Amino acid sequence: MPTFALTELLGTPVFDTAGSRCGRVREVALIPQEDRARVAILIIKTSTGDRLLPFVSVTSINGGIRTSSPTTDWVKREGAEGMLLLGRDLLDQQVIDVFGRKVVRVNDLDLLQESVANRLVLKVGSVDVGPRGAVRRLLKGVVPLVALRALLRQIPPRTIPWDFVDLIETDPARRVKLKISHERLAKLHPADIADIVENLAPDEREAVFETLEQNVAAGALEEVEPRVQKAILESLDSERAAEIVEEMEPDAAADLLADLPEERTSEILLEMEPQERREMVELLEFKENTAAGRMNTEYLAVGVSATVRDAIEALRRFEGGVETVSTIYLIDSHGTLAGAVPLAKIVLATPDTPMLSLTQEPLISTHAGSKEKEVAELFDKYNLSTLPVVDDNKKLTGVITSDDIISLLRANL
Amino acid sequence: MSFLKRWKIRLLIFFAVVGPGFITANVDNDAGGIWTYSAAGAQFGHMLLWTMIPITVALIVVQEIAARMGAVTGKGLSDLIREEFGFRITFLMMIGLVIVNFGNVVTEFAGIAGSLELFGLNKYYTVPICAVIVWLIVVKGQYKTVEKVFLAASFFYLTYIVAGVLAKPAWLEALEATIVPPHKEMFLRQDYLYMVIGVVGTTIAPWMQFYLQASIVEKGVTKRQYNASRLDVVTGCIFTDIVAWFIIVACASTLYVHGYHNISDAKDAAQALHPLAGDYAYILFAMGLFNASLFAASILPLSTAYAVCEGLGFESGVGKRFGEAPVFYWLYTILIVVGAGVILLPNIPLVKISILSQVVNGVVLPFVLVFMLLLVNKKELMGEYVSSPLYNIIAWATTVVMVGLTLAWFWTLRGGSG
Repeated sequence: MPTFALTELLGTPVFDTAGSRCGRVREVALIPQEDRARVAILIIKTSTGDRLLPFVSVTSINGGIRTSSPTTDWVKREGAEGMLLLGRDLLDQQVIDVFGRKVVRVNDLDLLQESVANRLVLKVGSVDVGPRGAVRRLLKGVVPLVALRALLRQIPPRTIPWDFVDLIETDPARRVKLKISHERLAKLHPADIADIVENLAPDEREAVFETLEQNVAAGALEEVEPRVQKAILESLDSERAAEIVEEMEPDAAADLLADLPEERTSEILLEMEPQERREMVELLEFKENTAAGRMNTEYLAVGVSATVRDAIEALRRFEGGVETVSTIYLIDSHGTLAGAVPLAKIVLATPDTPMLSLTQEPLISTHAGSKEKEVAELFDKYNLSTLPVVDDNKKLTGVITSDDIISLLRANL
Repeated sequence: MSFLKRWKIRLLIFFAVVGPGFITANVDNDAGGIWTYSAAGAQFGHMLLWTMIPITVALIVVQEIAARMGAVTGKGLSDLIREEFGFRITFLMMIGLVIVNFGNVVTEFAGIAGSLELFGLNKYYTVPICAVIVWLIVVKGQYKTVEKVFLAASFFYLTYIVAGVLAKPAWLEALEATIVPPHKEMFLRQDYLYMVIGVVGTTIAPWMQFYLQASIVEKGVTKRQYNASRLDVVTGCIFTDIVAWFIIVACASTLYVHGYHNISDAKDAAQALHPLAGDYAYILFAMGLFNASLFAASILPLSTAYAVCEGLGFESGVGKRFGEAPVFYWLYTILIVVGAGVILLPNIPLVKISILSQVVNGVVLPFVLVFMLLLVNKKELMGEYVSSPLYNIIAWATTVVMVGLTLAWFWTLRGGSG
């Protein structure tokens, strides 16, 4: 299966049906709406302007493009609607390598030539991000072609298969027309997505966050460094920002909103669902460097008389994040904290065991107004993984988990 | 106690306001700058003062363009050159940048060697030790902390202003020379043209544009906050050139009038501060030069490595491990090791080499300017933030003048006069 480099194809002479030269290849275009990899159109620079040559009528590539359609049939180019131009949109630009989980710059593209039912088909095979593409670009036209090819064969290629390449397009309309989504990127771990977006320019970050699904965007945003987090939320429109904030862990979302200019925070809050908004406003009122500022308001609590069966039932219905349920709390009818049961104990006990008999002694809790430092000391002293936070009336108001403490400690490192 | 506290608050406010523009401007008065301005004053008295106003205008315009491109696109200069002009041009540009910046790194180590020699410290110890310090500061990720120390210490430049005043210069003459260029005969002199190119090259150095744009991006300045950055850039540029003016005046009224026309080492240059510090002038000078050199030496190789790796698509960043970003770290290391190594050659003329590197800056400047101008006027890149016609005229004029000066200098070489 012969391969061509995109930069070799660009500038190749084109011959008409009579065999005389009528132009050069200016661009190679895909129409992603039809096929994500197949070359659909060659844009030919002719003496009468740029014209579109559908790739289906190309009969041979080697030694110049030959075609079966007469030049008069080639449509004049008007814009590039719906076309992904490999030269302009990809060459030298940054793309996301989903497999290697990083942002890379494109040196060249490898195009694979196939023959399907006696028809010539050209597909984008991979993106060249290594020295081979670089050397080709540097020496093309300077060194004789034969010598250059011999040299290039000596250089091990560093390429990314086309299927693992995510494009970045900042124009929303074009993103839709070119079917650019971030399905593959979305499958990565939120922390990896965060690392990737941190390496992008602000407009590009915004583009990624507009395209990702809300819950993925929220997970990734939590992992992004605070300065970039702020910039992203400020650049998105408030409706989109609110959607993402709603999906974030409440404590992380509150920290982030507290850092934004007040005006912006209220714009985002206004777009949120009433219940989530109320919760967020409550969290925002707490001082940031107290226990309450660090705590999460999503936790699982059951009544003091509940059994293990009830607790497991409640666990199944719980919609919050999994890290907050490693401990399940017992509260009385006033909401006062009465006990804490580690998940492991529940798993080992029979369904009818009363929860009250499984509680951990002593019951460690902290007051909402406690300093962060005191909280960290409690975690260290009692080797905690979660810590309940209570208000003045001993009512359970939130939970701090060990990952919150790790972020806190790292921030002060 | 309250006195200390008040100072602490003032310092904090100062650092909050100080942005990339001011930092860049400060680094601009590096070893190359100090040597070149000193030599200009010593050799030609007031005859280079007229360049200061046009240079300041050009510097503001050029730096502002770099800052604006950083804020609007969120990308570095080398990224933009790569994305808009392709691989080959970027590659050649980066080769050029590495060569010019290598010259600048050598100059910074020359500054380190020269300043510490004033304390009687041998360059064979000081230069390698400082090279290791510089390397470690960055690789161990301590740069941001150290930057504040450098910045605070760069207030040393104010001593030149004081020294300039105390030297009782011929104020009227100096002011006149600032506005009126010398007789056109001067422009036929090879050494004069050489110095003009050097003064422009050291003030509007190519690497500064890469560094400033990268810092703006790194700081996360966006279009919305751009106006504050513009102020920061303009203040920085004016400050740097006022200092430059006073260095020239101080050297003119001490060295030039007493017939010391050729500065050959740090001892000579330190005499410019004699009116201020008397016999201790050398201490002031040495500390200032040392700080400026070390400051720039920790920025230059790093900024070069970033620019090159980003433009050519190599992994970069001090947050990465050596194995993850080998090209980045090797380039950074080689620039420091070889740059310091050159200074260790016996009998190397420190000042001559330094000024030569600044002249090379001036010769390369127009190439960088052409790319910046083409980029900043691209509507699809800058949108409504493209340059105004006046800006373009000033920037293109700077480019043309620099090419003209370079050609004129080569022309004088041809005749073998000088």
